[in-house]
Amino acid sequence: MNLNIKANKNNTFDAIVVGSGMSGGFAAKELTERGLKVLMIERGHEIKHIEDYDTAMQEPWDFEHRGKTTNLSAEERWANSRFWGLGSEEVVNHLTNDKENPYIEKRAFDWIRAYHTGGKSMHWGRQSYRWGKHDFESNAKEGIGIDWPIRYEDLESWYTHVEKFVGISGQKEGLEVLPDGHFLPAMPLFAPEAHFKNKMMERFNRPVTVGRVANLTQPQDIHIVLGRASCQYRSKCQRGCPYGAYYSSLSGSIPAAMRTNRLSILHDSIVAEIIYDEQKKRASGVRIINQNNMLTEEYFAKIIFLNAGSINTAALMLNSKSNRFQNGFGNESDQIGRNLMDHQLGSGATASIEGFEDDYVYGQRPNAMYIPRFRNWGNDKQAAYLRGFGYQGGASREGWNRGVGADGFGADFKQGLTKPGAWAISIGGFGEILPNPTNRIYLDAEKKDKWGIPMIVTDAAFVENDWAMRKDIIASAVEMLETAGFKNVTPYDRPTHMGLGIHDMGTARMGRDPKTSVLNSFNQVHDCKNVFVTDGAAMTSASCVNPSITYMALTARAADFAVKALKKKDL
Amino acid sequence: MKRREVIKNVALMLGGVFSAPTLMAMDNWENATKPNINGAAFSLTETQQRIVAEIAELIIPKTNTPGAKDVGVPAFIEMMLKDCYKTPEHQSFIDGLDSMGKVKFLELNTDERRGVLKLLEQETKKITSKTTPFWRLIKELTLLGYFTSEAGLKASFEYVQIPGKLELIKLKPNQKAYAY
Ligand SMILES: Cc1cc2nc3c(=O)[nH]c(=O)nc-3n(C[C@H](O)[C@H](O)[C@H](O)COP(=O)(O)OP(=O)(O)OC[C@H]3O[C@@H](n4cnc5c(N)ncnc54)[C@H](O)[C@@H]3O)c2cc1C
Ligand code: SF4
Repeated sequence: MNLNIKANKNNTFDAIVVGSGMSGGFAAKELTERGLKVLMIERGHEIKHIEDYDTAMQEPWDFEHRGKTTNLSAEERWANSRFWGLGSEEVVNHLTNDKENPYIEKRAFDWIRAYHTGGKSMHWGRQSYRWGKHDFESNAKEGIGIDWPIRYEDLESWYTHVEKFVGISGQKEGLEVLPDGHFLPAMPLFAPEAHFKNKMMERFNRPVTVGRVANLTQPQDIHIVLGRASCQYRSKCQRGCPYGAYYSSLSGSIPAAMRTNRLSILHDSIVAEIIYDEQKKRASGVRIINQNNMLTEEYFAKIIFLNAGSINTAALMLNSKSNRFQNGFGNESDQIGRNLMDHQLGSGATASIEGFEDDYVYGQRPNAMYIPRFRNWGNDKQAAYLRGFGYQGGASREGWNRGVGADGFGADFKQGLTKPGAWAISIGGFGEILPNPTNRIYLDAEKKDKWGIPMIVTDAAFVENDWAMRKDIIASAVEMLETAGFKNVTPYDRPTHMGLGIHDMGTARMGRDPKTSVLNSFNQVHDCKNVFVTDGAAMTSASCVNPSITYMALTARAADFAVKALKKKDL
Repeated sequence: MKRREVIKNVALMLGGVFSAPTLMAMDNWENATKPNINGAAFSLTETQQRIVAEIAELIIPKTNTPGAKDVGVPAFIEMMLKDCYKTPEHQSFIDGLDSMGKVKFLELNTDERRGVLKLLEQETKKITSKTTPFWRLIKELTLLGYFTSEAGLKASFEYVQIPGKLELIKLKPNQKAYAY
């Protein structure tokens, strides 16, 4: 990627985007397509789409440890390997080395990071759901946290815009709790899942749908021009897709921005500070530290988009102190780093399924089944907790590893394991966590990382509402699987911390009042309007659906606003 | 050796929990959150290696398709224990091998060896400690090593590298599972 610093006198651009992940990629695309010259600054190393997906085409036996986490990986990726499968040699080298990039856990937080081009968009599970109207209104109705300064209607057309570009496969259901989007053809539910769906409707009046997922079931022109092809159903997406069939910044937004010839990307450059011009009362640029040679450099722009991921964005703001902002950049409200939210994950139930012996599947579905929120919804009212949860999960036929727990060994045992096993099903909840100012990250007063930047401290944990919800996630999962007639229904509850949902958000929230929020309704920092924050930090509440398309929709909306304001000379 | 003594020795050595087959990924997490005890020192003696090889081959014997020994499972087991497991499992594994030594496993004929393993399997179910017991370790590593090896996988399953489509199908009689 061309970096034409010399040609840009004084390292000056129209816009700087900090971070190349899910939201930063989208910011770069939207801003360059609207005519701006953009510098995207990424702290991690460069990953080239396709070329650098070094494990993508490897065969099972090419992995020395066959997918198991090694002691070495567990030591180096001490946080990342807490998530299912991320310690595996299929992907582990694309996740951040936590030993070299440590953070301090005042209270434990499972912080999953991917410092490289594309950020976590390379590894995400691609589940993509619009928020419902209620998600923007509940805070005000229930007196929780602060009210959102926007409503569903403000984001609706931007969801469509994002969905068209990203390419999301899904089934329209006409549900208020889970608004339909612009979908590519849906993937099928498997036979026992279809049975489950019918039973849930019949017995509980609860809808079940196939996951809405950012894999191209039928690429459109907008995807094909970027070289993105149809999904081949290998379900090895987390290694990076050689067909560009799932959406990431690498397959989608960055190539789109490059096509405008207005994007420059700087890698290995940690944005350490936002530079504030006390005279002009605006941010003038950023100071970076090269992660390899420690050299610092300054870059300047008319507007700055912060998309470093919610925790890093908050840390960057807290570290940017000036006369005007002695408590951190735009932190008059003292809300930066606070209200850290996530989705609770890791509890649900499993069951074995009798029957459906003739039903099988060719190909691997990179997707799951989805059960939208039904708690504290409609006529349901829970006394023990606020908000709700959705389930993701699905049915599959057991593989050879059923042999590990089964009795037997020898020739017949070996032969038996070559056949598909019985069907089994598993569902797990994603629960909404409420904003809470004491759940937070902050910068350590003394300890610095190896680049001299103050270390991040995590200080957050589940509270009563979360534990009560978790109980219900488990109990309802058991009830539903039993009602469907499945056997050996077994609850599970994995010990976990906040963070494991990998949906960290809320650390620089939007709101109407600068005294209680950091950003306004267009994601501008209240006290410095040429700085926009459009990653998860902006979120005022968390919903219970996966957040990434909402980050992208907010980003596209803010970029459109920013460019219009620039043209009107309002910025 | 008398059958009663065999039982006693086999029962003695079992020092771990028998858990239902958890998802491998769950193991990853547990692995990651356990206190890090350096296991780099793990290695087996030649006799122990022979016991491991014989047990692995009894779990997955050579038939009209390759067996555990053919695809290198014994060495795989030792390497995996060293690289992916920690001291408690190492100890549990070595204890298991010691008991096999005590029952003179290598001197038994195939039927007797099978008898020992059957017993071991039943006894393992009674264990309630937290460390994975010997039988569970050797079985899970034998199956993993075999069914993900090139020869083992291709002989056992219909290997599909790039499916290209997703289709609900009806299983044909005797159809093998797909592997991807
Ligand atoms: C395994 C997994 C499964 C997931 N599944 C889903 C899912 O199904 N659905 C869903 O919606 N979401 C999912 N997510 C979450 C999703 O990936 C995130 O919501 C999304 O990537 C967040 O976008 P972001 O731009 O805020 O941060 P990221 O994508 O993490 O990007 C941030 C970028 O900023 C860079 N950066 C950080 N600090 C600095 C700095 N100081 N200077 C310069 N650059 C910096 C980072 O290196 C990184 O490249 C999943 C994530 C993972 C890991
Ligand atoms: S399942 Fe589809 S998107 Fe995922 S790696 Fe395979 S081809 Fe790519």
